Amino acid sequence: MRAPRGKPPEPIASAELSTTTTEYHPVQLLMSIHAVNIRKTFGQFIALENLELKVPAGQLVALLGPSGSGKTTLLRVLAGLEYADPGSNGRVYLHGEDVTNTPPGERGVGFVFQHYALFRHLTIFENVAFGLKVRGKKTRPPRAEIEKRVNDLLDLVQLPGIAHRRPHQLSGGQRQRVALARALATEPKVLLLDEPFGALDAKVRKELRRWLRRFHEQVQLTTVFVTHDQEEALELADQVVVMNNARIEQVGPPQEVYDNPATPFVFEFLGNVNRLELTAVPNAPAEATPAQGAVTYVRPHDIELLREPAVDTIPVIVHHVFAAGAGARVQVVGNKTGEWFDVEMTRYDLDKLKPRYAELVHARLRRPRIFTKAGTVPDANPKSKSV
Amino acid sequence: MRRLLIGVAIAFLLLFLILPLAVIFVEAFSKGAAVYFNSVNDPDAWAAIKLTLFIAAVAVPLNTIFGVAAAWCIAKYKFPGRSLLLTLVDLPFAVSPIISGLIYVLIFGRQGWLGDWLFDPKYPVPHWVGFAQGWPLNFDWGPHDTIRIIFAVPGIVLATVFVTFPFVARELIPLMEAQGNDEEYAALTLGANGWQTFWRVTLPNIKWGLFYGVVLCNARAMGEFGAVSVVSGHIRGQTNTLPLHIELLYQSPGAYAGAFACASLLTLLALVTMVLKNFIEWRHARAARETA
Repeated sequence: MRAPRGKPPEPIASAELSTTTTEYHPVQLLMSIHAVNIRKTFGQFIALENLELKVPAGQLVALLGPSGSGKTTLLRVLAGLEYADPGSNGRVYLHGEDVTNTPPGERGVGFVFQHYALFRHLTIFENVAFGLKVRGKKTRPPRAEIEKRVNDLLDLVQLPGIAHRRPHQLSGGQRQRVALARALATEPKVLLLDEPFGALDAKVRKELRRWLRRFHEQVQLTTVFVTHDQEEALELADQVVVMNNARIEQVGPPQEVYDNPATPFVFEFLGNVNRLELTAVPNAPAEATPAQGAVTYVRPHDIELLREPAVDTIPVIVHHVFAAGAGARVQVVGNKTGEWFDVEMTRYDLDKLKPRYAELVHARLRRPRIFTKAGTVPDANPKSKSV
Repeated sequence: MRRLLIGVAIAFLLLFLILPLAVIFVEAFSKGAAVYFNSVNDPDAWAAIKLTLFIAAVAVPLNTIFGVAAAWCIAKYKFPGRSLLLTLVDLPFAVSPIISGLIYVLIFGRQGWLGDWLFDPKYPVPHWVGFAQGWPLNFDWGPHDTIRIIFAVPGIVLATVFVTFPFVARELIPLMEAQGNDEEYAALTLGANGWQTFWRVTLPNIKWGLFYGVVLCNARAMGEFGAVSVVSGHIRGQTNTLPLHIELLYQSPGAYAGAFACASLLTLLALVTMVLKNFIEWRHARAARETA
């Protein structure tokens, strides 16, 4: 274990490769967190369905999904606050070690709760020192060392001089950072954050988000956080894990999941998107017809409006123009199909086009994605490959 | 209009609360302080006081432990039968005290379910094991006896524990439900074991609610009449608690003032309870304000 300071992360993978031969599976070696076959049910409700998660060491990973998608349950399974269903054969490895049946306190994880769960009757100092003070006599650091470490941690989270206060005297953002310091006091190998910004107001949320990103770069600790806010996940994380209905829909760097969503769900969940059921997309492959259940997704900023028709355009009628701020939004309706969709363009392009109400213009879908019931139609978007 | 309402309220309080309380002390001292102190100093009265304190000293800690365990179980876990357990906790409040006493007579009495076995002279036990009559007040290393529960101290303890069971649990369940499990989970992830979690996290969070429940439980344990009356057997100096002793004096000719003298002791207990209760509520409100 290493102190959560600015030291570079230990090269865990190579170090262990050189010393161990048969004990670890190579895949687990590279991974700080590796959970396989995790299935969790609450009565009839399936919270997690046989999913697999890998997190490389030192990364900041977001579990993103709507409420009820199982992201918090997955985090709690990693922490040991919930256990995967006994019959499911699910296993959790942390740094190559099987911790499936290890109690939370012995897993080497730090957990920050959504509402922080600070001990309300204890001072901030006692809160942060808790994890050290409950240790057995043999492993408990001496009093002076505990004191030093707690003060160091409070410096690290930029809250010096509040050690004597109690949780109720702090603001939400301060409580959040105290909770972080408390979780780091036991020198965890993995940090797990449940909706870390969920209970804060918008301004503090943004500040703390940036702070957490810098903080992660400083301590280089493998971190997984749960969020339902796509902006948060895309801005903060090295890897985004998009979850829906107890399953992982897609894993990838923020830009990858935004630009190349693997499923209709990811498309709809991340960013604004037009969902067109009937539109005959020009050059669409023959099998992608509405009869096949084909659905086309296209981002509003991936639609171009033109005065003149072309082979790859569809005629649309302008319904509403909304121009305020840096960009402009034009609502149009397909001339043949009657489907509504949004187009986003720069003010510059808007001024060039000058669309008016009820005018006929032509739309070019720059990067349409067509999904049939069977899955993606690859021809329509050669860039998309399932990740 | 406001004055009128306040006047009515005060008149009502005077008539129905203050006046009866005052009457107790007036009647207690009606034959002079000497009679008062003689009545309280009477050996039977002393025995009743000691027995009452003993009963409370057994029943209150038992119900504190049971109450915390039941509240913990009901408030912090979801399991089949949870609402049934919640109903069972309330049962002693719903049942008439007479029934609460009678159930123990029906189980442990001579004609009860276990009567044949308990009173069988084939199974003698020494007095000190057998809760012989008079235990624990007149400690007697006498000859062998059979186990006595009804018309002896163990029966009174059982009835009192039953009647006062809901106080602590009822006080703690809403409090613990409101506080949730997060702090306990946080303690677990920080490496605390179950015992450390209880002593360092759960107990400090519920201490005022617990104290409040204990005070109410104690007041009822000392004041309980109905259930105890059924199982006690009313043996002077041996199985009479303070409320039973007061009733006995009140019924016997010439001991009218004595009854009120003893009653004044119970009344004092009630007043102390009220003061404690107010103090706890004040502290509780302050603690709640601070953590809100």
